[in-house]
Amino acid sequence: MKRNALVFVALFVAVLAMLASGKYLDRTRRHGPLKLVGNVQGLPAPDFQLPSLDGSKIKLSDFRGKAVLLNFWATWCPPCKVEMPWFADLQKQYGKDGLVIVGVAMDDSAPDKIAQFASEMGVNYPILLGTDQVSDDYGSVDSLPTSFYIARDGTIVDKMVGLFDKKDIEDAVRKSLNTIGRPAPSPQQSQAAAAVKTPVKDTAQ
Amino acid sequence: MKNSRAFLLLALLCAGFALAQGPGERVPSVVMAPVGNVQVRAGASTEVNLDFRIGSEFHINSHTPKSELLIPTVLKLTTPDQLTVADVKYPPGQDVSFPFSPDEKLSVYSGDFTIDTIVKAPANAAAGTYPVTGTLRFQACDHSACYPPKTIPVQFQVTVVKK
Repeated sequence: MKRNALVFVALFVAVLAMLASGKYLDRTRRHGPLKLVGNVQGLPAPDFQLPSLDGSKIKLSDFRGKAVLLNFWATWCPPCKVEMPWFADLQKQYGKDGLVIVGVAMDDSAPDKIAQFASEMGVNYPILLGTDQVSDDYGSVDSLPTSFYIARDGTIVDKMVGLFDKKDIEDAVRKSLNTIGRPAPSPQQSQAAAAVKTPVKDTAQ
Repeated sequence: MKNSRAFLLLALLCAGFALAQGPGERVPSVVMAPVGNVQVRAGASTEVNLDFRIGSEFHINSHTPKSELLIPTVLKLTTPDQLTVADVKYPPGQDVSFPFSPDEKLSVYSGDFTIDTIVKAPANAAAGTYPVTGTLRFQACDHSACYPPKTIPVQFQVTVVKK
């Protein structure tokens, strides 16, 4: 009985320690010097080359000079489905201003199934077939959707993990479009400014 | 009693891990409760209930999601020659619509769920205790994001006794 109580207390302390470390990491992620996943604003977007659904190879650097919305998604991700028609609208609206939306499919479905799905979603932008390497390069993309908003100079201006309101997405698009000629921030500035946006809050089950 | 306490502690630990993560970096957890002593007579069968707990804030697709694109929850078991799995009964999913897709109902499990299995010992099965091992594959989401499919180990022991 005494032993059980001790085990329970030890576990309770362990949980408390985990909570405390989580709070600490969250705080340092926002303000401290740690370079962690999500702390990406102002950093150069890692270049990659991936196959597209039409078989061509596309490099991110092919779009240098354009604002890029890089969206990681999967066919098995219902929240991703919500965004895709919005992205198609934004591509129509801001394409002439230099926006390029690039979808990176992170699932194991056959390319023809991904293509069919994208077509049903009204996708009018290139879809690339993602790899673990690209996911790792972007800080291990484990939550979908995850979108990176990349300015014309190739630096990341925003990152959104999870589903956001369309307005938030459009604001980030406009932010990436308006950064032409802006000097890249210093690493200190980048870290101070960095913050991963939290998913929409009004979507509780 | 012992099992439920272990289940509770395991779930508490997982909840701690989940809460320690920042937004969008949570790790969905599904844990299996330890299975107590299972006995079956040679030539007979017995029901083994496998209890799972999904971390709060998460849900996983049921065994029969409403779209072929969604990844179902699947239990796979491997038995030694002295045993067979005669049946696996999944619970029905809850039809739930989520804020990210209010017009669509998804068939999901959340909280606790139980998969019932029927384990059979052939008449010529030798007495003894045998391991049944396997995996549970699932794909989880929360209210705004989804996570890659994951597989957790499943294990329990069955003791075959002579008629």
